[in-house]
Amino acid sequence: MMATTDLTTQIYQVFIKAAPEQVWEAITKPEYTARYFHGARIENTPGGHISYGPDGSTWGDGPVLEFDPPRRLVHEWRSLYDPEMAQEQPSRVTWEIEPQDGGYCKLTLTHDRLEGAPKTAASVSGPGWMFVLSGLKTLLETGSPLAEG
Amino acid sequence: MDDDDRVFKALADRTRRLLLDRLFERDGRTLTELEADMGMTRFGVMKHLRVLEDAGLIATRRSGREKLHFLNPVPIRLIHDRWIDKYTEGPASLLANIKHTLEDDS
Repeated sequence: MMATTDLTTQIYQVFIKAAPEQVWEAITKPEYTARYFHGARIENTPGGHISYGPDGSTWGDGPVLEFDPPRRLVHEWRSLYDPEMAQEQPSRVTWEIEPQDGGYCKLTLTHDRLEGAPKTAASVSGPGWMFVLSGLKTLLETGSPLAEG
Repeated sequence: MDDDDRVFKALADRTRRLLLDRLFERDGRTLTELEADMGMTRFGVMKHLRVLEDAGLIATRRSGREKLHFLNPVPIRLIHDRWIDKYTEGPASLLANIKHTLEDDS
């Protein structure tokens, strides 16, 4: 059987010199996400996932499917920041934090169930998530964001 | 060996670069699919995939009985940010300096 996944499952991994608890804070608390996620204030709690753009509009929301600090966070993704993508089916984002020897964490981000969201899939692929993850790495390792504003 | 060393070492091999290109064309492939493309023994392909995985250039995920291989572009991006950006600045500013020097002298 041929596995034809195309862009419907995307996996990104990055090593970050930080404790799992710090990475967890950085992906669940709006005061951190605002500094690396295109300025979005994102809050992830057992009650749900909500993302506000810098102008206060809702960029995304959805249920949190798994909330296991500081290891694993799974939430739905809707691209409400774009009118066309907002019409697409929700997809799913999984954050996994694995501590490594030497004070590092391996952060794995899986964006999948993108079958019903081809525009979102194309938009987040490649530079999309990479920009966010390298910004997160820079913020945690240096204390300053990759790009201001 | 640090992270960058592992990435450069992994990229310093034609077969491994080819494997990354294959995954770039279509992500999430099984060993069997990759092996069919490579004209190499299964064991040989596995060894190369292992080096790529250790360098963080591919991520794997189980799907039922199969192991799917995904391209992880982040380490190459980080090397780009760290090395390429810095050095593409170089020639451009060098030429600008030559221009300024020559024009000032004339």
